[in-house]
Amino acid sequence: MTSLIRRELKALWNDPWQFALVTYIPILGIISLWWLFSAGMPRQLPVAIVDHDQSQLSRMLARRIQASPAAKPIGYQDIASAKRAMTQGEVYALVVLPYRLKRDLLTGHSPTIEIRYNSQFLLVGKLLSSQIQLSLADGLLHVASKKQLALGVPKAQAEINLRPVTSQTTALYNSNSNYIGFLVPPVLLALGQLLAMLVFANSLNRELRLNTMSEWFSLGTRRVLFAKMLVYTPLIVLQGRFILAVLYQFLNLPLAGGFGLLLVAQVAMLLAVWLIVLVIFFLLQDCARVISFCTALFAPAFPFMGITFPTLDMPMLAQLWRKLMPSSHYIDTHVGVVSYGQGWDTLADQLINYWGFLFLVPVIVFLAKRVKRAHLAEQSHSPEGAK
Amino acid sequence: MTFWQFLLADLRAIVTDKAIAITLFGGVLFYSVLYPLPYLNQVPTEQMLVVIDHDGSSLSRRLIRHADASPKITVTGRVSTIETAQSWIESGRANGLLVIPHGFRKDLMLGRGSTLSYGGDANYFLIYSAVVEGLVSVGLDAGKYVQLVGLLAHGENAKAAERSLNAVKLNSVPAFNPSLGYTPYVVPGVLLLVLHQTLLIGTGILGAGQWQNQGYWRRVSPLMLISGRICVFFLIYTLFTSLYVGHCYYWYGVSVQATLWQVALFLLPFLLSTAVTGIAFSCLFTRRDLPTQVLLLISMPILFVSGFVWPLELIPDPLIWISTIIPAVPAIIGMLQLNQMGASWASIMPLWLHLWGLFALFFMLALYGVNKRLKREPNSEL
Repeated sequence: MTSLIRRELKALWNDPWQFALVTYIPILGIISLWWLFSAGMPRQLPVAIVDHDQSQLSRMLARRIQASPAAKPIGYQDIASAKRAMTQGEVYALVVLPYRLKRDLLTGHSPTIEIRYNSQFLLVGKLLSSQIQLSLADGLLHVASKKQLALGVPKAQAEINLRPVTSQTTALYNSNSNYIGFLVPPVLLALGQLLAMLVFANSLNRELRLNTMSEWFSLGTRRVLFAKMLVYTPLIVLQGRFILAVLYQFLNLPLAGGFGLLLVAQVAMLLAVWLIVLVIFFLLQDCARVISFCTALFAPAFPFMGITFPTLDMPMLAQLWRKLMPSSHYIDTHVGVVSYGQGWDTLADQLINYWGFLFLVPVIVFLAKRVKRAHLAEQSHSPEGAK
Repeated sequence: MTFWQFLLADLRAIVTDKAIAITLFGGVLFYSVLYPLPYLNQVPTEQMLVVIDHDGSSLSRRLIRHADASPKITVTGRVSTIETAQSWIESGRANGLLVIPHGFRKDLMLGRGSTLSYGGDANYFLIYSAVVEGLVSVGLDAGKYVQLVGLLAHGENAKAAERSLNAVKLNSVPAFNPSLGYTPYVVPGVLLLVLHQTLLIGTGILGAGQWQNQGYWRRVSPLMLISGRICVFFLIYTLFTSLYVGHCYYWYGVSVQATLWQVALFLLPFLLSTAVTGIAFSCLFTRRDLPTQVLLLISMPILFVSGFVWPLELIPDPLIWISTIIPAVPAIIGMLQLNQMGASWASIMPLWLHLWGLFALFFMLALYGVNKRLKREPNSEL
């Protein structure tokens, strides 16, 4: 076995791309994706303000929006130019403070403040809409409280009269709604799964490319496969551990559970990935085609994880496809460990969910035997060897 | 070899190469179904809420009924402690919790004010925002109800009372994607990226497999090879693009604002520059399994730097600078502005010129690369 492992390590050393895939490419990928989201929270997003009233009140409301961390108000003179800025993506929302806003408010007519937000950029748009409404509502409350005070209501009572029901909202498990904690782990997981798939597929493809399939079969089909798994599983888990170290030790994101559980879950995920890659490899038996097919299969893993869009709201077919992706099984464990601090018993239940992948084993055995037979037949036809 | 013969030979090489065919024909069709699949229900609705009602009054029951009536929330159960509610969330039986404090109704009726607590599982932002939006509107409603009862009790007339509660109306309306749906948000960008990536992979595999071998590509000049190949891929991708931008956008309910000719005019340099980028890119490889791998690894970063998932204002500048040499980035930004947000042609003109600039740049690089590749003698044994 040690000689087989040495064979794999030598192959890894002699293939610069494969070597890159297990060393610096993951590091580059992790750093650049983290860097991309490093702002963490959407802040200072440009918002167009068209102030037709130019009163003390309208300026106060504009200042309220400025005070909100999410928005950076930019004044526009007319609606047309504000609209143009919005269609060009220069501002993400548009607030129109109407003419006679103050007067209408004081005389008991109810004026309307128009807000338009860019929902083509859903995330930014929704956030801005709620933040702007909060800031404006707060500003208006300030005006209303003056009215109450003028009527002779004591200050403490006035505040309660205006807002009898206050609310306290808690974002559980990610208390400041940080996008790094929300988006970066699944993105890196998707990247990690792609890397794992590529590394394993390359290691199998190498036998095809260098015409060493017969050597493989003579060394023992299963033994070489185990050697490959023994080499690459720890290497990829090491990458996974590095990702976890960056997220939960270097960036100090909250982690409720332990690393051990996550690493065990990663091993299970990798075994499932290996099985899928093996099926495709023995089925197609062509380097470029194996890679193309695996790519087609694994590239869209991210939307199916159910982090950005909830799993239960996906159509049935999407939920089924989700079950085929090892990463979606892993992400459930990941969230469970990181946020809920789940224990080994829950992990055991989740690992049992991988049972479907075991059906791939007989398929692989069957396909591998077919490939082996074909190779032996080819060799007996040309006794001098492949060339 | 004439230009036409080269076109035919190249077309045949693409269609008969299974690795390219899987990516081009299989991939493009497969992804047009698979990528939007999770989002077909558009908005998350009926998120599961668990209620901790310490009050047990008529008003708290009314509040729970209203929460249940909200389309975003369904009340799945009531428990007595926050710990139990938390274990419900952790076991996936609930997504959020609502705590109604003891003496809620009494305090409100006595004019003392009361605080409702909401919580949502922020591991899933969409679930969290659905729960919170649903509950905030329910809570505001309860507050208004109490205020209205108070005002009416003081002898105010019902209409005036309502008006004084809604002194200013805030009319917040989503623009460009009026349903706030998820497919109109994701599909336009992602489908363009799929076109871009598969086109690069196709040209990449084709080139990588040819440089070291003898064949029809050695019988033409580099200039003819590049322009011929651009023509062939452009032809194939005109069909794919029509399918995506014409049919899929319509099918997935993407809002479409530009005219056909504007879209065609904008996508022309996109396809041309992507095709020539692919040819330049293919000169870097001689192994047919490598181009796909490189492109696979950079697809997610490209998607994120094109600015519709994460705002461009927040992306570090160096990443933005690097991203400007990728044709997909100006194309996605420009198409979103032109076709989804209804920008005028004049305002996206710089992006259009940017794409032509990339075309020129990569054409030079492709010319240099192909020249170099074809000068080297093919492998003797093949």
